[in-house]
Amino acid sequence: MELNSTAGSRPPVARMASLALRLVRAGWLRDLAPLLTLVVLTLIVAAREPAFVSERNLLNVADASAPLFLLALGETVIILMGSIDLSLHTIASLSSVLAALWINQLGPFAAPAGVIAGTACGFINGLLYTRLRIPSFITTLGTFGLWKGIALTISNAQPVPIPTKIGGSFGWLKGDSLGFPNTAWTGLAMLVITFVVLRHTALGRYIYAIGIGEQATWLSGVPVQRYKLAAFTLAGFCAGLAGVVLVAQLRSGGPSLADSLLLPAIAAVIVGGTAITGGIGGVARTLIGALIIIVARVGMDSAGVDIFAQQMVYGVIVIVAVTLTIDRSKIAMVK
Amino acid sequence: MQQVTTAEPTLAEPSSGRRRLPAALRSRRLVQLGPTIALVGVSILISAVNHRFLTLDNLRSIVTQSAIPLVLAVGLTFIILSGAIDLSIEGVMAMSSVIVSFLVLNNRTSLDWGLLGVVVAVLVGGVAGFLNGFIHVTFRIPSFMVTLGMWSVGTGLATVLYRGLPVTVEDTMLRSWALGTTLSFSNLAWFAIGTLVVGYLVQRFTLLGRYAYVIGGNEELARLSGVPVNRYKVMLFTFAGLCSGLAGVLIAARTGYGTANVGAGTLFQVVTSVVVGGTALTGGSGGVLQTLVGVLFVTTLSNGMILMGIHPYIQQAVQGLLIIVAVALTMDRARVPIIK
Amino acid sequence: MSDQSAGVALEVEGLVKQFPGVTALDDVGLSLRENEVLGLVGENGAGKSTLMKVLAGIYQPDAGTIRLRGRIVRPQNVRQAVGYGIAMVFQEQSLLPNIGVAENVFLGNEDQFIRFGVIDWSAMHEAARRQLAKVELDLDPRTYTAELGFAQRQLVELAKAMTIEDRTRENPIILLDEPTSVLAQGEIDLLFAQVRRLKARAAFIFVSHRLDEVLALSDRILVMKDAEVVAERDPAATTAEELYRLMVGRERHAEYYRESEQVPYDPERVILGVTDLGVDGAYQDVGFEVHAGEVVALCGVVGSGREAVCRTLAGALPPDHGTVTLEGRQLRFASPRDAVAHGVAYVPMERRVEGVVPYLTIAENITLPDLRPVSRLGVLNLHRENRLGREWIRRLSIRATGPRTNAVNLSGGNQQKVVLAKWLACQPRVLVLDHPTRGLDVGAKEDVYALVREVSRQGVGVVLTSDTLEEAIGLSHTVLVMKDGQIVHRFDGRTSKPRQVDIVSHML
Repeated sequence: MELNSTAGSRPPVARMASLALRLVRAGWLRDLAPLLTLVVLTLIVAAREPAFVSERNLLNVADASAPLFLLALGETVIILMGSIDLSLHTIASLSSVLAALWINQLGPFAAPAGVIAGTACGFINGLLYTRLRIPSFITTLGTFGLWKGIALTISNAQPVPIPTKIGGSFGWLKGDSLGFPNTAWTGLAMLVITFVVLRHTALGRYIYAIGIGEQATWLSGVPVQRYKLAAFTLAGFCAGLAGVVLVAQLRSGGPSLADSLLLPAIAAVIVGGTAITGGIGGVARTLIGALIIIVARVGMDSAGVDIFAQQMVYGVIVIVAVTLTIDRSKIAMVK
Repeated sequence: MQQVTTAEPTLAEPSSGRRRLPAALRSRRLVQLGPTIALVGVSILISAVNHRFLTLDNLRSIVTQSAIPLVLAVGLTFIILSGAIDLSIEGVMAMSSVIVSFLVLNNRTSLDWGLLGVVVAVLVGGVAGFLNGFIHVTFRIPSFMVTLGMWSVGTGLATVLYRGLPVTVEDTMLRSWALGTTLSFSNLAWFAIGTLVVGYLVQRFTLLGRYAYVIGGNEELARLSGVPVNRYKVMLFTFAGLCSGLAGVLIAARTGYGTANVGAGTLFQVVTSVVVGGTALTGGSGGVLQTLVGVLFVTTLSNGMILMGIHPYIQQAVQGLLIIVAVALTMDRARVPIIK
Repeated sequence: MSDQSAGVALEVEGLVKQFPGVTALDDVGLSLRENEVLGLVGENGAGKSTLMKVLAGIYQPDAGTIRLRGRIVRPQNVRQAVGYGIAMVFQEQSLLPNIGVAENVFLGNEDQFIRFGVIDWSAMHEAARRQLAKVELDLDPRTYTAELGFAQRQLVELAKAMTIEDRTRENPIILLDEPTSVLAQGEIDLLFAQVRRLKARAAFIFVSHRLDEVLALSDRILVMKDAEVVAERDPAATTAEELYRLMVGRERHAEYYRESEQVPYDPERVILGVTDLGVDGAYQDVGFEVHAGEVVALCGVVGSGREAVCRTLAGALPPDHGTVTLEGRQLRFASPRDAVAHGVAYVPMERRVEGVVPYLTIAENITLPDLRPVSRLGVLNLHRENRLGREWIRRLSIRATGPRTNAVNLSGGNQQKVVLAKWLACQPRVLVLDHPTRGLDVGAKEDVYALVREVSRQGVGVVLTSDTLEEAIGLSHTVLVMKDGQIVHRFDGRTSKPRQVDIVSHML
């Protein structure tokens, strides 16, 4: 029971605002609103830019959005537990640098090696978080610097180009299958995998359980720390994959490649309807959220909005989305 | 007859009746002296390795390099004291640096607002801070989330404004704040000291400062005692915003133009400084004097690494690790049963 | 005019306070006279804490009036209550440890020391010294609060409450909520001495579960039970035993607890053995045995340590000393994972937070400890899980539309059944029940009792703490009485059940 009977101590504006929010947050709204938003947004953009809905353009957009989507998938897993990962984009950049550097020694295995590197980074994130028992936003704020610093150092702050004629995984990623870009297939495959993991494996079940009720889950004998570690490792895998995809798309790896992707990735998760407090939502929602972000990006591009101003918009979106979807009953004290 | 057997919330559940004080307070003396010892220790180490460290020039350089981070850190100290966090300081600083650059005499616009321009830029920082606090308390969104958004809003706004209008600052007064010296110390240092003094006075002699400790110590208790917590939280964030605004002005003074990409890594440096200095992330203990030690420590470490030829990029990695270590060592885990 | 001549400082009438699903105050009335100490006793959940919080402005009543010397008042928050002259002294940690004593004394009340936006420290310290003198505490007001001992802190709190004296023209009313729970005997005497002195200028309501203390300090005692005031006594004319009977007294219905179904346990088979168990600050030297099929009840008042013992068995509170053995083997209980692996199941008191996971379905809650029975090669078989859920719904008569209902949508009783189903599905060897029937309606309680009988028949050892003595006596074979962290008596209920009054005499 919250000690919230301090009626009269909140300003009328705040009371009206939260009343409005309570009305807005009826259960069905969380489910329908993202889809509605996506449809409306797409119609608006398509009206301004009819070329948007051409097949060629949609495929390009799908290809370009794959790294963002992969990061958003990784972030979903973390946010479902009630935590946050502020370092996934730097893991992606680091993986891109490593994969590009390793082309010479490892050839076709450079890409998988990059993904493995990303997974290892995620594992370290999880290890620091669970062993040191410090909040995830601090842990990943710290590792944000760590991965960035390492990437800058080994790449000497320069992009790492890969040879233009490249086969193996990179070559495959640049190509199409069944008319659909392979990068998009990768994103889709990862969507299916994370969906299955979340809904049909113990790891997924416990990720939800930890997000909804960590105390009860712990008391039920579940090794909570171990599953948290696994979740962060999985997120690292997604980030590593995103990095490798970026290399294929941009023909080079680089320490700042994924810099602009953190905020849109988090925005995608929350706009899609996954609660920041955890336990509610999932990757299907993130798909819709990511599509919203992508369409918004296209819209902003066509409206001539500076790419840096777009970052600003994502920041605002994150704040607004969290405001609308946060379940305050779960946070007795907001710090 | 209904059996009433409900667990009513008690104000302070003495978990299993333990009578022990929280760890952070038991070792208060140690925590207080630790950072100073660390600073001295690190200085000795570096000077042993590299003789250029202890030269007057180098020490002056450390002081200058510490100035702008200190200004930011003073504001951040109050936020962390109250148990919250402000991730937006870099973004707000960027924004105010760009704004000041075209309000004062510059090579593109015809504006020449001088000191007024400076004041406006600082106030813009205050507005950003106010928004942080307002959104945080009104909608009860965790501070890290709000300030994360504001960080990107600030940086984005700064970049947009700058790319639209890249200007060079020509206002000599403003530039002298960074380039000039007084008593052979860069003016930047004096601004920083001024901010520190203001911060200390606020911390020690105003309700705003005292309530930062109270809110960080036990927010629920504070509310019950009639402290207008929400109002003071907003004021604390506004104060931090003003500090970020000032830092933005100073960096424009130093570089001569609005800096949108102000130095990713400033956030780390400042957060690390505050935590390493002894202001625990859980809130309620620490202060600006401790932050001074922390800033000096981080800058000295940086300086030392440069002197030793360690690549600047590695420094970012080191600072990231430093945050983790500092928080791990100083966090009072008894107060946070579930760590998310 | 005011009722000061009649001597009544505070009068409460018809107070009602409801929380979701529970009535905490049901038409409560009392009157507090000037310069008296009014003792207030009652079981956990009887309503005394709620009553105090309503008076202190923390809660607002749904109905009823509060008259302060004849004037009707409605404190909307603590600040207003203090404005009326009503202040509350909370339990233990209600001073902020990280600031000075003077700051704590005047917390929320510093305006008087602010000049031009700046705090006048010397004025505040001077004023603090004056306040501390009221409780005869000779302390430098600049002292960091964390450095104070518990007794000193309690006195500082009293001083803090007494500051309202300077703000109202009338005598303050001080509410003391369990002020002695962490004090040693000497410290308690000190506190009482101060209260007696201050009676001359204030009126007190003293809430405590320590009946002997209430008897020692109060001028009059009110007993609350089930959200009502049921009796008033003169301390000189009553005893702790009588008070307890008034607080708790109910008839014991043998059939209610299905005592006829109670089967004797096998005295040869010891399932759980506890030796010299201790957790610093909670309990020490605890040792007992639980046989297969035996129901052991732990009885004790708040602070006796029985809940902590349960949590140790659950793995949630690792012991500082002593050992726990299961079927002879000494095992580690460092985490709930250990406990569950050893076959110890824990049904926690805080059902909504620690028992069920609210937004998981019934089936998902049941399979939480062990997903292996419903998964193959790492993949969950949701059909099988739901089938399992349906099976348990049937077996335990859980009232829900299906296994896919979220646990949050169930009533308290059905949630408890889900928790029990979760554990029964694991086939535990020991079942630890911490206040298992709290907040449940009569029908749900009966179901729980039936379940306890059944598992005991199957040879599971049961450790039980209960809200009521009658429940503990009715369900158990053995009653262990705990007091101040130690086991003080063991009642063997095999041949004849102990009487409530006997148990009470040891509890107090």
